[in-house]
Amino acid sequence: MDRTSAPEHLSDEELASKAAEGPRSLFEELVSRYSMRLFYFLRHRTESDQDIEDLVQETFLKAFKGIDRFDPERKFSTWLYTIATREAVSHHRAHKKMKHNPVGTSSLPGPEEVVIRKEESQNIWKLATSLPKKEYEALWLFYAEEMPIKDIARATKKSPITVRVLLYRARMKLAEKIDKTSLSKNLAGASPAKHKFSLL
Amino acid sequence: MFCTVYKWLISQAADSGKPVSGFVKNHTRRCDSCREFAQLCESLKPKLAKDKQVILENTHEALNKKIILALSKERASLSGRKGTARTYLARKPALVASLAAAFVVLAISLSILFIVIPLARDTSSFGRPSELVSAASPGVLLVKAESPLEKEYLELKKTFNATTEYLRSVLDFHIGEQTE
Repeated sequence: MDRTSAPEHLSDEELASKAAEGPRSLFEELVSRYSMRLFYFLRHRTESDQDIEDLVQETFLKAFKGIDRFDPERKFSTWLYTIATREAVSHHRAHKKMKHNPVGTSSLPGPEEVVIRKEESQNIWKLATSLPKKEYEALWLFYAEEMPIKDIARATKKSPITVRVLLYRARMKLAEKIDKTSLSKNLAGASPAKHKFSLL
Repeated sequence: MFCTVYKWLISQAADSGKPVSGFVKNHTRRCDSCREFAQLCESLKPKLAKDKQVILENTHEALNKKIILALSKERASLSGRKGTARTYLARKPALVASLAAAFVVLAISLSILFIVIPLARDTSSFGRPSELVSAASPGVLLVKAESPLEKEYLELKKTFNATTEYLRSVLDFHIGEQTE
């Protein structure tokens, strides 16, 4: 195989359109690129890790079945997150009255999970998990996926102004939370210049 | 109170990546809360991008395997469904033939119901004695031999001719005639 046509060198959109036309094994590359990203995106939707995994799996299955309908002119991530949002809503409706097992009670965390959780304790995304789900999702899509506002609106089925409001609220709440934790020092260090901001 | 508005404007600037306007800048120089919020908005982007890398480094191999396994099952069932579709297509000519036969039977039944039976009724009316008596006169016979459709046609023709005559008499403007 040509080096440039190797799955890892192709963009998401190229991979998706090639998977639709021919070998769907190319789709597995998309799975490895997006499984964790979807996992963190859907974190707020259910209480158990098992349910999140199921949701991620369902999202990929839906995407796999409908890969023929993917428009390569659009971003693959927006399309995938739209499916994930729909799946999460259906899941929520189906399990509305069912009781969930709280996180960690279904199975003990393995060594890998322990490492993840330790690293997360200083992670600002960990702090963001305490935000309401809509705000967290808007924050994830804006900062982690670097999606423009209109794409976030499309993926989450909301208006652009609602997305802006959600981001505003998320920032306000994060500001409060960061003030209360030791993260404020880290955050100050992360900015390019302490007193000279490009926003200001 | 106004800080809420300034913070909203700062948040909007963070959304678009453009710098805030002059009056917001002036306010942030005086207001600690708004300045801190602007600083946070500024630093959130690099910090969240960095932290995202950290959490995504821990790939969930078990999850990937689970998804890939589900995908291969789905692939197998999809190819199975394609096979079923082929069998269905193979049965399709028989289905088409039976549909065609049903259509022919229906067409024959309808033609018997609407063409043959009314014709038979018309012919049978000549068998009545009164009809036979009236048939003795040739003028009456001509009228009786007309079908309802022909009768309707003659009526319409008559009406049309009468209408034309009337219109010609009413709307006669003598167009083309020479005046003295």
